[in-house]
Amino acid sequence: MSETAKPTAKPAATPRQKAHQLLQAVRGEINKALIGQQAVVDDVLCALLAGGHVLIEGVPGLGKTLLVRALARVFGGDFSRIQFTPDLMPSDVTGHAVYDLKSEAFHLRKGPVFTHLLLADEINRAPAKTQAALLEVMQERQVTLEGEALPVPQPFMVLATQNPIEQEGTYPLPEAELDRFMLKLAIDYPEAADEVNLVRQVTRSAQADALEVSQLRTLLQPKDVQILQKITSELPVDEQVLDYAVRLARATRTWPGLLLGAGPRASIALVRCGRAHAMLRGGEFVTPDDIKACAAAVLRHRVRLSAELEIAGQNLEHVIAQLLEQVDAPRL
Amino acid sequence: MQLNNAQVVIRPRNPWEAADLGIHFARQHAGLLLGSMAILLSAWLGLLSIVLYDYPGIAGLIFWWCKPLYDRLPLLIVSRALFNAKPTLKQSLRELPQQLKAQWFASLTWRRFSPSRSFDLPVTQLEGLNGLPRKQRLQVLSLRNSQPASALTLVGFHLEAVLLIGLFGLLFMLLPPEVYANWDWRFGDWLDDESEAHWLDHLSNWVYALVLVVWEPIYVACGFTLYLNRRTELEAWDTELSFRRLTERLQRAAPLALMVFALLLPLSYSPSSQAAALCLPPSLNSTPKAERLLSQTLTSPAAQTSIQSILADKPFSNKRIEHELKWGEDQPKPKSKEERGTPWWLKYLIESWKHTSGIAYVAEVVLWLLVLTLLGWLLWHYRRWLGEFVGRLQNIQRPQRQRPSTLFGLELDSQSLPADIAGSALALWNSDPRQALSLLYRGLLVHLLDQHQVPIKSSHTENEVLGLLDQQQLPALYRYSQHVTQHWINLAYGHRLPADRVIQQLCQAWRTLEARQAGASSATPREAHA
Repeated sequence: MSETAKPTAKPAATPRQKAHQLLQAVRGEINKALIGQQAVVDDVLCALLAGGHVLIEGVPGLGKTLLVRALARVFGGDFSRIQFTPDLMPSDVTGHAVYDLKSEAFHLRKGPVFTHLLLADEINRAPAKTQAALLEVMQERQVTLEGEALPVPQPFMVLATQNPIEQEGTYPLPEAELDRFMLKLAIDYPEAADEVNLVRQVTRSAQADALEVSQLRTLLQPKDVQILQKITSELPVDEQVLDYAVRLARATRTWPGLLLGAGPRASIALVRCGRAHAMLRGGEFVTPDDIKACAAAVLRHRVRLSAELEIAGQNLEHVIAQLLEQVDAPRL
Repeated sequence: MQLNNAQVVIRPRNPWEAADLGIHFARQHAGLLLGSMAILLSAWLGLLSIVLYDYPGIAGLIFWWCKPLYDRLPLLIVSRALFNAKPTLKQSLRELPQQLKAQWFASLTWRRFSPSRSFDLPVTQLEGLNGLPRKQRLQVLSLRNSQPASALTLVGFHLEAVLLIGLFGLLFMLLPPEVYANWDWRFGDWLDDESEAHWLDHLSNWVYALVLVVWEPIYVACGFTLYLNRRTELEAWDTELSFRRLTERLQRAAPLALMVFALLLPLSYSPSSQAAALCLPPSLNSTPKAERLLSQTLTSPAAQTSIQSILADKPFSNKRIEHELKWGEDQPKPKSKEERGTPWWLKYLIESWKHTSGIAYVAEVVLWLLVLTLLGWLLWHYRRWLGEFVGRLQNIQRPQRQRPSTLFGLELDSQSLPADIAGSALALWNSDPRQALSLLYRGLLVHLLDQHQVPIKSSHTENEVLGLLDQQQLPALYRYSQHVTQHWINLAYGHRLPADRVIQQLCQAWRTLEARQAGASSATPREAHA
């Protein structure tokens, strides 16, 4: 992960530029469907490039599900959606063995996780045991059914959504589950001008009040995504930048306002996400700005605010912003 | 106040006995007390309910807040009844406005929550004291019996609550279950219908008024008896009463004694004295100074003269003159010129000032409140301006105070930089290009910190520094900084060397920048170091 290139005066490699162009096209296509949420779209694409999973949090009606549908549309791979409900069982997610009367044998029925893009809608509505069914597939990219480890197709990405205001009848995600999400994105209300555009577009649509994704072009195939991920993972990261990412993650562990700091997965996610960010902006290498840009999304679900600050009404975003202000940028 | 007419036995009691006496007293005059209170409270609450029909909560609050004023009616009755001058219902109601007027504002504001309200009320209402005298009086009175008075208020508070809850419970028990089956039991939201909810809130106000009708007279009577008890102790009323009783008894016995004396008097007189009394001419016998025994050798004037002379001599008269020194204090001072010259109007003002110190105190409080409110309003009104002003001050001070000595690991001390940065960078370029570019970037940062007070912190990345500079509206400097930063980032994180001509262009641009800066201000730090 830490490669230090020798100082050269060579021009940039062509595949990267191609990849960048492709990504720009994808970004433009998704932004056609999801209006006024450019930052969230960028972050989701970052996660896709970095091979991570995303947890999207926002009040109802901001287009969380639409974003995933648009991504699935632009991305030609398989897409499946699980609506998490309180009575959902782990086998409904992963799959199970059924007895076939004709052949008098058990057959494995694969669950909806065997797909490229998995939308776990309202993930906190299912109890912890069902949420835990995703643990293995998110980390290992495989599902163990009847003692048999079955790999899921590559690339594999989980996009989960949850609603921050309704707390009744929901089950907060456990730390282990949260840690497996590379990014937690907070989707906010669009700007006034964007909202005007959005309303104009939706009211023109044939469907009742949904934005259509059917007119979006399919630009990516699963294989392309794998190539993009490979190119991304090869972006050079300077030692200082790597050190900055690790220092950021470590700072959360001793930060006075935080009860729980981020683990090593956060440092890893920071660097991978920084690479993806650099890729998305068309950079040839990772700068401290790339790391800093995705630090909030990477850290926000991995730390927990101390009780004193919570009582004092302090915001987690505010504390993370303070932390980013205090940790020194890379030194050379 | 005629102590003789007191309807209770006046003697020192312990506080609880005194409070008990109050309850007994209230019971004795229950009819008048309850009746007058019921009339007063129902009239007042009725008025409030009509005026504030849509705001039953506010009506209830006002009704509760004015409680100290209601106390005055029972006190009026109780105090009169104690000395056997119990007023009728009509009289007491007629006198009420007069009683309410005195110090009503104080009672409803800073004395509203006084725990010893019932104990202090007689001082205000019966003794008519205000201001400093009232304070001194209460200090003396409160040395004892004020704690029981506070306890009485506390008990009253609980008793009111108990009675109120009890009455509500009773009302609720009388309701058939069908009525409240659909009630939503959240506070203040019992019924769906707005108007019915108002009706219910008003009912609760009336229930509270009913509680007050019963409890308030008892409370006031207890406070009054506590006050009486304290005064009995202080002024020894019981002793005074004993003396008065003694006097009465003696006065009753006096005519009899006189008659007996008159009857016995003739028996005690001797016949000779009777004769003398009868024979002497009234003119001669009328005064003791009249000259008598004029036919004898020693006449009465002669005897008197000799007696006078004997009495004037020793040992009857022993005159001597003593001299001693005394301080001049005892002698009355002659009135100073100023005092004699004090004009009558000043005296009048001072005198009237003494009496109006209470009003002055109120005015002082009101004025201070006005000043504070005005100050708060000013702060609130100009908060944005103040915030900007303070923010700007901090902005100005920050670069000087928080100027980092190293940034991104680069030494930023101006003394660590060579005098001619561009020349040194060009010289270094061939041997150590990284060092050369670092020198240019460092020079730029020092320039930004020193000349433009850009608030750069250690946590700022290169692009963030550019962002800060963008806010400064310096297009030429921004363009140059963009170039330097871009090449610096490429070299530092991407390990990409810029072309030779690039470094020459950068050095040239830096020189231009320096020249322009020198033109703008004749003494830049760079030149100072040079």
